[in-house]
Amino acid sequence: MSHKTPSIEAALRERIGTRYARRVRQTGQLPAVIYGHGTAPTSVSVNEKQIVTALKQNQHVVELAIAGGATETCLVKELQFGFLGDNLIHVDFTRVNLDERVTVKVHLHWYGTPELAKKPGHVLTHDQSEIEVTCKVSDIPSELRVDLGKVMHSHNLHASDITLPAGVSITHPKLIIARVEEIFDAAPAEAAAPGTGAEPEVIKAKKPEDGAAATDAKEAKK
Amino acid sequence: MALMPKRVKWRKQQRGKMKGNATRGNYVAFGDYGLQSLDTHWISGRQIEAGRIAAQHFLRRQGKLYIRIFPAKPISKKPLETRMGTGKADVDYWAACVKPGTMLFEISGVPEDLAKQALARVAHKMPVKCRLVGRRLAV
Repeated sequence: MSHKTPSIEAALRERIGTRYARRVRQTGQLPAVIYGHGTAPTSVSVNEKQIVTALKQNQHVVELAIAGGATETCLVKELQFGFLGDNLIHVDFTRVNLDERVTVKVHLHWYGTPELAKKPGHVLTHDQSEIEVTCKVSDIPSELRVDLGKVMHSHNLHASDITLPAGVSITHPKLIIARVEEIFDAAPAEAAAPGTGAEPEVIKAKKPEDGAAATDAKEAKK
Repeated sequence: MALMPKRVKWRKQQRGKMKGNATRGNYVAFGDYGLQSLDTHWISGRQIEAGRIAAQHFLRRQGKLYIRIFPAKPISKKPLETRMGTGKADVDYWAACVKPGTMLFEISGVPEDLAKQALARVAHKMPVKCRLVGRRLAV
């Protein structure tokens, strides 16, 4: 961890459920749950501003100071967002030790432009904005900086091409994380597409032979 | 040419309901910036195509455009001045069912200001209120 672990105020939630979670959110708190290490899950509420600030600084580990209880070192496991994706509505924390190895997603900070992308009609696309790494909790990097100008020599940049800090390994090294794609004019593809009057093929259309056979059978019964 | 499925199981569909908000396809997954719907609506294949053309003409082969919706629902319409009855009408167009939160288009590989301008042009072609969004927080 490159930054100091932030301390976040938390309080135990006595009543759980949609209605009470909503009331918690109205007071500037965020409903959360702490689990892991073989102990029972604990429902808590955390200070929304503090947790959002920590997450924006790419922090993965936080110290939860539970009011009237112990302070726990926790890893942010999962976030839940509202339907528009701009407001955080719930956080999952998991209890961790600093020596434990964990799998987390680390933010990728891109800079530089590869030579290939400077050609006309070529576009650099970042397929991944985070990458899954395995490391000790104390070694989780806040972000991985990738200089595309130096690293990217072909059309695809794989996860294994990134220089990693000591003690950090990538879970999926063959994953393509950035690409230089050639963009063609869409006109030829459009011409091949079906016209407005065209109809799609119906895959479950009744066979006329079966239909005729069925009517024959009915008539025979009569 | 408007988008439509290549193969379908049934030629016509019932109208259905579009209640609630989008629970899937509601975040920027492929690009860097996205155009998010704030209303519920059927978006026709023609409207999607108009949006694609508006963005690609503006971007001029810079950046990559992702279309996140597909018109998979056949919408039938009776011809004008026709008496009611005699069964369900022929398919008029194909539409995508869009709920509040659905990501309609995404753009990658261009600076923020260019992406915003391109998506604003797309938004003019859409029958819904839209907004521009970036990638959300992740852990």
